[in-house]
Amino acid sequence: MSHTMILSIVTFVYFTSFVFYLFRMILGREFWGRLAMIFAWSGLALQTAALILRWKASYDLGIGHVPLTNLYESLIFFAWAIVFFYLIIEWRIGNRAAGVCVVPVAFLIMAYTSIAPDINNRIEPLIPALQSNWLTTHVVTCFMGYAAFTVAFGCGLLYLLKNQIAGKSENTTGFFSRLPALNLLESLIYQSAALGFVFITIGIMTGSIWAHYAWGSYWSWDPKETWSLITWLIYAIMLHVRYVAGWHGQRLAIISLVGFASVLFTYLGVNYLPGLHTYIQS
Amino acid sequence: MSKKANPLWSFFSSVKLTIILLILIVILFIAASFLPQYGDARQYVQGLSPAAAAVFLFLRINDLYHSPLFYLLLGMLSVNLIICSINRFYFSWQQFQALPFPEPAGIFDNSSPNSIAIANQDIKSLSSLIEAFLEKKFGCVKNKNTENGIIFSAGRGRFSVFGVYIVHTSILIMIAGGLAGSLFGFKADVNIREGETTDTVYIAGRGMQKLEFAVRCDKFTVEFYDNGAPKTYRSDLSFIREGKVDYQGALLVNHPLTYSDIRFYQSSYGLAPDTKAVLTYTGGREKKASVVLAGGDSFVLRGNNATVQVLRVEEDIMSMGPAVKLRVSSPRKNYEFWVFQHIEEIKKANPGLLSQVPMFNPGLFQPYLFSLERLEQEYFTGLHVVRDPGTAIVALGGILMVIGLFIIYYLPQQRVWVRLESTAQNTVITIAGRTRRNQAALDRRITELQLHLKENLRA
Ligand code: HEM
Repeated sequence: MSHTMILSIVTFVYFTSFVFYLFRMILGREFWGRLAMIFAWSGLALQTAALILRWKASYDLGIGHVPLTNLYESLIFFAWAIVFFYLIIEWRIGNRAAGVCVVPVAFLIMAYTSIAPDINNRIEPLIPALQSNWLTTHVVTCFMGYAAFTVAFGCGLLYLLKNQIAGKSENTTGFFSRLPALNLLESLIYQSAALGFVFITIGIMTGSIWAHYAWGSYWSWDPKETWSLITWLIYAIMLHVRYVAGWHGQRLAIISLVGFASVLFTYLGVNYLPGLHTYIQS
Repeated sequence: MSKKANPLWSFFSSVKLTIILLILIVILFIAASFLPQYGDARQYVQGLSPAAAAVFLFLRINDLYHSPLFYLLLGMLSVNLIICSINRFYFSWQQFQALPFPEPAGIFDNSSPNSIAIANQDIKSLSSLIEAFLEKKFGCVKNKNTENGIIFSAGRGRFSVFGVYIVHTSILIMIAGGLAGSLFGFKADVNIREGETTDTVYIAGRGMQKLEFAVRCDKFTVEFYDNGAPKTYRSDLSFIREGKVDYQGALLVNHPLTYSDIRFYQSSYGLAPDTKAVLTYTGGREKKASVVLAGGDSFVLRGNNATVQVLRVEEDIMSMGPAVKLRVSSPRKNYEFWVFQHIEEIKKANPGLLSQVPMFNPGLFQPYLFSLERLEQEYFTGLHVVRDPGTAIVALGGILMVIGLFIIYYLPQQRVWVRLESTAQNTVITIAGRTRRNQAALDRRITELQLHLKENLRA
C-alpha cells in the first residue's frame, strides 16, 4: 500500500476518534473514551508507518531526504506531533476530556492536506538551501512546539467553555460537569505551553543556525522569523502572567488562544507576506 | 530599604512592566511585518502632512527594526530584567540555602488521608527502609528527632532557582550580541568571474569596501536534478595575501568558508556577459591550431599575414546552434563568414548549402578551414561576505538559554519530608512534598513512593 493511501485512512481514523471523544463527552460513558483512545493510537501508528514509507520512497527515487521539507510534509508531521503529544498527556494525567478539542485539529490538518488545491504531495529533490541537517532539527523542534501549543489551545478552549457555564449556573449538569476541573485545565494549559516554549525556543535557534550557514545571517527579520518571535513572546508573556496579581485562569486560557492564532499565522499566514521562507508555497 | 523607596527602581522591578513591554514589542513586530521595511523613506512620506511626515521619519516606520522606538523598548526591557533580577536574587539565594529543618509549618496538616501508611514494625528498620527509599529517589537524606517523631527530609534540584537567572542573563547576552554585530560588523556582496581575483566588496548603503586580502574564484560549478531543479552550487575559492595563495577551499550553499574573521557564502551566480569561443583551424603550412576568443578579439594567422577577427559569438543563431562570425582581413581581400559548431549536421540536412550560401562556408578563406569546437561560457559566482563579531556572543546566549530552560523545567526543585510517628499501637508514616513548579507532578511521585513503601512493608 502506498503511503498516501495510508494517510487517507489515517485521516478517517482521526475523524472516528474525534467522534468517539464527542460521544464520551455527550453520553458521559468512559467506554467511548477508551474506544476513541484506541482509534487515536492506531491512527498514530499508521501515520508513523506512512511517514517511514515516504522516507523510504524518497531513497528509492534516489533523492533521499527526511519527509519534512515542504508544506505537505510539514502538515502531515504537524498532525502526527499533535496526536503524539496529546496521547502522552492523556496517558500521564489519566483524563480523556481534552481529546474532543485536540484530535479534531489533527483531523482537520490531515483533511486539509488532501483537499487544498495548492498543496503538492510529490516527493521532490532538495534544492541546495534545504540540504542541511539543521533544517531537519529546525522543523522537528518547531512542530513539536506547535503541537504542544495546540494541546494548550484545546485545554484553553475547554477552560473558557467550562468557565462560562460554571460562572452562570451553580448546578452544572450534563456534559459540562464531565469536563476536567478548572484547575487541572489551567495546569495543563500551563504545562503544555511551557513545554511548547522550550521546543519553540530550540526551534528558533536551530532555524537561525541554519540561516547562519545558508544565508550568512542568523537573523534577517524575514516575516516568518518575526512571526516566530511574536509567537515566542506571546508564550513568554503567558509564562510571566502568573507573577502578576489577578492574571490567572481565564487570562491564561485567552493567551493560549491568542498564541495558537499566532502559531497558525506564523505557519500559514506568513506565506502571503514576502520573504525567505516562501519556498514553502511551492 | 533605600532601593525600595526609589520610585524608579520599583517601576523597573515590576513584572507588570515586563508584560507591558513585551506586548508593545509584539505590536511593533506585527506592524513591521505588515508595513514594507527597508523602503525608501521619501516614498512613505509623500502625501503626508509635514507634521505627520516628521513623526513618521522620527519613528522610522520604514525601518522599525532599527528605529529608536525599538531600541528604547529593548533598552527598557534590559533595565527591567537587570533590576528585577537584582531585586529577587536575595530571595532566590535564601531559597537555595533553605535548610531542611524546621520543615515548613503545617506541611503535614493537609496531607491527604491516603498519604498515611500504618505499619506494625519497629522504628529502626522502618527508618532505614525509608532512608534507603529517599536516598534512591531524591539523593541526600537528612533526619531529625522531634517531639512528633522522626522526620526525614530529602530534596533535589536546589540549583533550579537559578535557572531563571540563566535564562534572563542569556537574553541580555543575546541583545548585546545583536548590538555588537550591527555596530562592528558588515554585510557585503561581490560577484567574481571564474578565474578572476578581487579585493573589494560592495556594502549596501556604504559603498565599496577594500578587504585585507584578495579572493579568486578558481571554478564555479552548478549541477541540476533531472527535473531541472538546482542540486549543487559550488565555488572553488583561493584566498590570496601578499601575492601568495594562503588558503583554498570549496564554498557550497550551507557550507560557508571563513577566512580571517570574514565568512563567505554562496549566494547567487550568473553567466558572464561575454562568451568565449574555442576555434580550431587547419591549412597553410600549419598543423591544426586552436585559439580561445571572445567577441571583438582578433589574432594573426601565422604563415600568412591575414588577421582574423571575431565579430559575433552566438549561442544559437537561426536555430542552427552555436556559431561565430569571423572577418578575415588579408592584403588582397576581406572575407566574412559564419562558423557553425554543428556544421556536419547542417551540411547533411541541407546538401549544397555551402556552395549556395558562401557565408556559411567555414573554408571560405582558402586554404584555411575553421571549426568551432565549443563555446566557453563563463560563470560569475555571487558571494555574500559577512563579518559579525556578535555571532559568537549570540550563540553563547542561545546555549545558556536552552540550559536555563532545561534547569527550570526538567530539573525542578522538589523537596519531601517523611514523618514517622509512633503511637501506642502502631507507627504512622506521613509524606509531604513542596515544589514551586508543577506540584501535581510531585504529588504523583509521592503517591508512587507510598505505594512502594506499602508493598515493601507488606513483604
Ligand atoms: C523576552 C524576555 C523574557 C523571557 C523569554 C523570559 C523567560 C522566563 C521564563 C522561561 C521564566 C520561568 C517561568 C516559569 O516559572 O515557568 C521566567 C520567570 C520570570 N521572569 Fe522572565 N523572561 C523574560 C523577561 C523578563 C523580564 C524583562 C523580567 C523583569 C522583571 C522578568 C522577570 C521574571 C520573573 C520575576 C520570573 C519569575 C522567577 C521565579 O520563578 O522566581 N522576565 N522568565
